[in-house]
Amino acid sequence: MRKNVIAFIIFLFVILGYFTITSLARVVRSDWQEPLPINQADQKYRLVLITQDIDTPFWESVIEGAKEQAEKDQAMLEVLGNYGSNEEAFLQNLELAIHSKVDGIIIQGLDTDEFKELTKIKAAFYSIPIITIAIDVPMEESLRRTYVGSNHYESGVKLAEQLVEDMGEVGKVVLFYDQEQYFYQLERQAGIESVLKKYPEITIVPVETIDQKEDITSTTQDLLNQHPDVDGFIAIKSTIASGMVEEISRRRQVESLAIYTFDDHDDLEQLLIDGKLDAVIKQSPQEMGRLSVQLVIEWLNGETVPLDFDGYLTEIELVKATDFDE
Amino acid sequence: MNSVRRKILILTSVTVVMMLVIWFSFTIYNRQTQEQYNEILQRYLLLNEVNVASQQLITDLNLYLSTSDPDQYQKIDQIKDSLREKEADVWSLGYQENEFEIVNYVHLTDSLIETVDRSISLHLQEDTEAAANEFNDATRIANYISDTTLALVDKELKTYDSFYRHIIEQSVNINQLGVWLFLFLSFILIVLTYLIARSITRPIYQLTEAANQLSQGHFDTEVHVDSNDEMAFLAKTFNRMRLNINNLISEIQLKAQLEKELQESKLLLQESQLRSLQSQINPHFLFNTLNTISKKAYLEGSIETSDLLVDVAGLLRYNLKQLDRSVTLYDEVTVLRHYIDIQKALLTDRLQFTESIDFDLLGLDMPALTLQPIIENAVIHAIEPRESGGKIMFRVSDLEDHVLIEIEDDGPGMTEEKKIELIEGLLIPKEGHSTGIGFTNVIKRLRIFYGSNNLVTIDSQINRGTKVSLILPKQKGGTRNV
Repeated sequence: MRKNVIAFIIFLFVILGYFTITSLARVVRSDWQEPLPINQADQKYRLVLITQDIDTPFWESVIEGAKEQAEKDQAMLEVLGNYGSNEEAFLQNLELAIHSKVDGIIIQGLDTDEFKELTKIKAAFYSIPIITIAIDVPMEESLRRTYVGSNHYESGVKLAEQLVEDMGEVGKVVLFYDQEQYFYQLERQAGIESVLKKYPEITIVPVETIDQKEDITSTTQDLLNQHPDVDGFIAIKSTIASGMVEEISRRRQVESLAIYTFDDHDDLEQLLIDGKLDAVIKQSPQEMGRLSVQLVIEWLNGETVPLDFDGYLTEIELVKATDFDE
Repeated sequence: MNSVRRKILILTSVTVVMMLVIWFSFTIYNRQTQEQYNEILQRYLLLNEVNVASQQLITDLNLYLSTSDPDQYQKIDQIKDSLREKEADVWSLGYQENEFEIVNYVHLTDSLIETVDRSISLHLQEDTEAAANEFNDATRIANYISDTTLALVDKELKTYDSFYRHIIEQSVNINQLGVWLFLFLSFILIVLTYLIARSITRPIYQLTEAANQLSQGHFDTEVHVDSNDEMAFLAKTFNRMRLNINNLISEIQLKAQLEKELQESKLLLQESQLRSLQSQINPHFLFNTLNTISKKAYLEGSIETSDLLVDVAGLLRYNLKQLDRSVTLYDEVTVLRHYIDIQKALLTDRLQFTESIDFDLLGLDMPALTLQPIIENAVIHAIEPRESGGKIMFRVSDLEDHVLIEIEDDGPGMTEEKKIELIEGLLIPKEGHSTGIGFTNVIKRLRIFYGSNNLVTIDSQINRGTKVSLILPKQKGGTRNV
């Protein structure tokens, strides 16, 4: 009896002691770490990358490349972006960057007056270098230092040549535009037209649409009603392509048609594999990001002054549906 | 030897120290947490102050542009100064995660001040349109400051997220620790208190038990206390007291025994006095009658009868008068001769009495009627039952300090048991003795008289006779109470 009581008391002591000590250990062990303070002596270049289409695979790649290069050059790179082509927010980001006196701005070009005003006057006032990326605006209007990205005219030419090769020298080709014709789209269009003009048998049907799914659908329907004998489609902007292909495939056999677009997009790759798209112009977004950061820093360091006004062109590549056949 | 007090003091101070330590650590921890909270709040407040100041700057600028009030200008200057001061503070908010925003924030404040300055100088140059433009810019910059403030607060929340969670978790942990610590310490204190209380109460219980035993009269059980404090001391004292009481009691018992014996002898004495008084029924008449009869027998020529009557009268007188006094051996021998004469008259030649007496010893003091009852005993047991009669030898001899008196017969003797009974005084004397005094009575009186026990020895064997020896000291020892 007495032995049992003593054993029970010791047992209780051990149990309570164990819980108390583990509890104490939890309290004492602190895994919180104060954030590291900034080193004011070591001021790095502050660069901003501004885009309107954040979270698309294309821009993800651009950002990835830019960040890699920024890290290599020990510059601070911040990405400002917004979704769904919200122009106002985009311009605000730009203005904010200018007033924040960043050391360099890498920005997706926007072919509007407000954009040009900001880059030409404000940025110049604070003498902040601006590099356009992926989409260019004319140098004279924006006072950009340089452009990094694809040659859109060249990519239009490439795509058109492929079209002719696939379709033959006779036919009716639909050109899908975004309603708002930006400089880069015009460049692409010009490239396409410069090729197709050589073939009088090919007629071009220009179609305007708004970059919204319903509009694309209805526009495509109208188009197919008016021109049932179309042989080829070119979507100037990649975001139009998937809606367009979807609608056409409801009415006709897509495989027999020649359908083309620019830029690689997630859903486009599947369409290519399925053979619904015939070819796509693929750009080098990562290289764009990398190169733009490199150029800004070179300019800031005074290594490359001035930058090439004509721009630094990155590679473009034509990806055909047949490439996925194997 | 203050160990009980020390135990209680130690227990109390341990408890107090424990509570102090716990209270102290909890207070320190609370303070730390509070400081962290304050620091964080300070950050938010600072951001908010910058934001509010920049908005105020815009409001004041607007007023100034419309009124050109120099007071307003002063006000703007003040706000600009305070903004610049805060800028320095804002730098201290920076850490690597929010470096970009912080730098932006500082630069935006700079831009705001610059733009405001430009607007004012343009206004002073009366270029109203340009001033208004600059004011618009300033407004937008102020808005950007607001936005960036929000972004910074957002960043703060993100950065400190884990910290906040940590604080919450920590407070839960602290609560748990509190509960466990409370249980643990309570348990230890209970056990400790129990042990200490027991170390005090157990000896008390043992003492109580011992006291109980004593009160019930068990003085022999030793008091045992397993403790090393005052209780042990108390127990030792108690034990000593028990031993003392025990000794006292046995002393009292011894005294009571003595008292009892004394009482017995008093009773014995009173008894014999009573007997003697009873016997003194008109003794003078009896003696006179016996003397008259003796004279008459002498006159009638019966000399033998006359002598016999004289013997009887002498014996009776001695018997009645001398019992309460010490007499000499001489008196005893005289009365003994009277008695023998009477018996010879009764038993004629069946009784052969021989005596050998050292006459120097006849002055010895002794109680009266000591020898006659012993001789009578011998006559009754050794002579009377036998037709042929028997011999009785009476000897008085000197043993330096003592006198040896021997009465020997050649009768049938007695068994060992009977002998012991006789000596111990267990044998009730039969009626029939002439003096009414038995052997036992003799022994008792001798013992009281000399204050000593081993005075009488009986040497007896069946059919060989009996020898009674009295060894009486010449100098009387002990006290005589009568």
